[in-house]
Amino acid sequence: MVTRRKFVTSVGIGAAGAVAGSWVAARGREDSIWSMLEPELSAQTPAATAAAPIILSSNENPFGPGKAVLDAVQAAFGPSGAQPGRYSNASGALVEALAKHHGVQPANITLGCGSTQILRTATHVFTSRTKALVGTIPTYEECAGYADMMGHPVRPVPLDAEFNADLDRIADAARGAGLIFFCNPNNPVATYVGARATRDFLSRVTRISPETTILVDEAYFDYVTNPDHATHIPLAIEDPRIVVARTFSKAYGMAGLRMGYAVGHADTIRKMADWDSGSGTSSLNLLAMVAGTAALTQDPGFIKAERERNLAVRQFAMQWFSSRGMKPTDSQANFMFVNIGRPVKAFRDACALKGVRVARDFPPFENTHCRISFGTMEEMKKAVTVFGEVLGKPAATSAA
Amino acid sequence: MSVTRRGFLSLVSPRDRSSSVIDVIAARGHEAYWAEQAAGQGTQAGQGGRAGGAGRGGNRPALPEGVEAIRISSNENPLGPGKAVLDAIVGKFPEAGRYPFNSTPSETKLAETIAAFNKVKVENIVVGGGSQEILKSAIRAFTSPFRPLVTAAPTFENCTQIARRMGHPVYEVKVDSAGRLDLEGMIAVVRGAGLVFLNNPNNPTATVHSIKAVTDFVERVRRISPDTVILIDEAYHDYVTDPEYQTAIPLAMSASNVFVARTFSKAYGMAGMRIGYAVGATDSVKPLARLKMPYNISVFGITAAIAALGDQPHIAAERARNTEVRAMTVKTFEELGCKPTASQGNFIFVDIGQPARVFRDACAKSGVMVGRDFPPFENSHVRISMGTMEEMKKANAVFREVLRPSAPAGGGGSRGGGGGVQPGGLGRGSRS
Repeated sequence: MVTRRKFVTSVGIGAAGAVAGSWVAARGREDSIWSMLEPELSAQTPAATAAAPIILSSNENPFGPGKAVLDAVQAAFGPSGAQPGRYSNASGALVEALAKHHGVQPANITLGCGSTQILRTATHVFTSRTKALVGTIPTYEECAGYADMMGHPVRPVPLDAEFNADLDRIADAARGAGLIFFCNPNNPVATYVGARATRDFLSRVTRISPETTILVDEAYFDYVTNPDHATHIPLAIEDPRIVVARTFSKAYGMAGLRMGYAVGHADTIRKMADWDSGSGTSSLNLLAMVAGTAALTQDPGFIKAERERNLAVRQFAMQWFSSRGMKPTDSQANFMFVNIGRPVKAFRDACALKGVRVARDFPPFENTHCRISFGTMEEMKKAVTVFGEVLGKPAATSAA
Repeated sequence: MSVTRRGFLSLVSPRDRSSSVIDVIAARGHEAYWAEQAAGQGTQAGQGGRAGGAGRGGNRPALPEGVEAIRISSNENPLGPGKAVLDAIVGKFPEAGRYPFNSTPSETKLAETIAAFNKVKVENIVVGGGSQEILKSAIRAFTSPFRPLVTAAPTFENCTQIARRMGHPVYEVKVDSAGRLDLEGMIAVVRGAGLVFLNNPNNPTATVHSIKAVTDFVERVRRISPDTVILIDEAYHDYVTDPEYQTAIPLAMSASNVFVARTFSKAYGMAGMRIGYAVGATDSVKPLARLKMPYNISVFGITAAIAALGDQPHIAAERARNTEVRAMTVKTFEELGCKPTASQGNFIFVDIGQPARVFRDACAKSGVMVGRDFPPFENSHVRISMGTMEEMKKANAVFREVLRPSAPAGGGGSRGGGGGVQPGGLGRGSRS
């Protein structure tokens, strides 16, 4: 029996040559390492299974990066990509590739150790003890957590009844604020504000509160299937008050690599970089830079395929809960926010015992709503079996 | 050039040259490159080469086309990490899509492993994206417009640069005539300071202070200025051979407001992975923990660092290798009449009696890349990192050629060395 531990060991020592190149290539992305491992894992004792649970708690791409990315990381180990001094150009190459990808100039981009660094930097630079952070509640907590730590005020704005960002209330709260954190699709609630409405909102805020910067976090951009969908990068490079955050951690499947970036007006980007550049590449690791460049130049079909794969799983999972009378929000992301009608902690703990990890509490909805990331279809099919056991049998009528 | 390394390479890519693997993880040239960028571009440098990698500092000479570089400018382990590390990284390819808290091992395990290695508790450790994150957090946490940074000149400039950019005052205390940190001079200005940066061994002067001297320093600073935080940067700890030196970690654990910074970028040969850490009493490192960037170490970095700590024979071998190369290179310069400081690092700081730039440009013509300028010694001293024995034998031959007294221009061995780059003699260069 091949445990994961043994597998990794054998890869490291015996089969290193095959790992990133021919090995992944032979199996294909659709038959990734995780699903390959599942038959072995499912054959394990319960204790071993618990050590390698189905992870539906972190909004990751369960398949990881594309073959081209792992090939590039391996190539960085090999003959073509590792001339002395290559390091010197890895970040430059990534910035150039990003600029080309988004049709902007290198001066419009700054890199971060995940978009986490971008969010923190924006919060630091654009909020102060007198200039608040505005964000929905709940939303991704990085900005609010940092502002709070620095003693900068935070103005939380409730969502509407359908868990959408309430644009009127955000705009009201924005007057005199330093920064609006606008995560779209919004984590953890998974809802999405269309491109037209977002454009109107941005234009309204910049009019009524000219001193406010708006950080549009497009982390889940690639998972949106709503046709009213567009990036706000073109607005950001024109208007110094708008900046867009992106990450390689989601659809690109590179959460483990740590690479994100901001795109914006050169003046805004300079302000952010001046605060947090440290010296040199600071916290940006080389393999992430190499991987990022490869991710952008890989077959554009990669992201499309990931979006479609996720959509199928999303429809499956949402249907499963809906048919049991548990209402999910209108997810446009790779996770769902669903009303399970009971405290999430008990549900989470019970699922964890059965090898499925779902997300933490998201106040003020910790007594009703759970965030569940979408794994592979195979993982989700196993997961709903566990959910069914934990939540109890569906009503007989819903079986139809 | 161990058999194991070649063995690994043949697994990864059979036709590879042996230097390749190493360069990418070890990121040779990292430190020098970015320091040059910072010098050449001020605050515009860094954060991933926002300027697209264009525009270098004026400090790095061009290499003639076709000349293979011997890069001895960055104080990095020329052999890179050991086989255990490379295997560990490749083994984690399946987890590239997982956040560092979901990977196996997770970032928590890294902190625990570092704590166990240093015989402290996990709450005594703060892991940083390179020790740079630790230094950056220290400047942010402990200095202010009213609480200066006390540092040396020359020393590792990272803290100095960040403090200046924030507009916080900086006191630079020039090293003594032997290139050692002037501890008395630093004590003289320490009252009311926010942070003292003590680089031991000191980059670029390569000297150390004994544990006794460091302990005395800490005690005196504690008496004079109890709230001043002392950061002891031991980036080159693993290269020290002086028996009077010891790590200040036990001192940091028992004193208040003292912590030690360590890095995987030097002897561990992993500059490209960006991993460092702080060790100190819980209260001392708490402000750093607050500012720590979440998930700052990649899944590959976590596994690499854990593997590296478990492969201490690799570090011992690296220290032995460095000691041998260092002795050979010191001897070369002494024979040339050039005096190096008492080096305890993987680099030497040597009085060549001429501007470093002139020497650097001359060496570059033969493919040897030595360290940048280190004011206020840019007109007399050069910093040279220790490459492999093979590299250093070639480099030493170039040094002999470049520094050869009264060599006629265009002499036989002068590969492309134009007139004007040859020194007129030893120790006659302009001094600052």
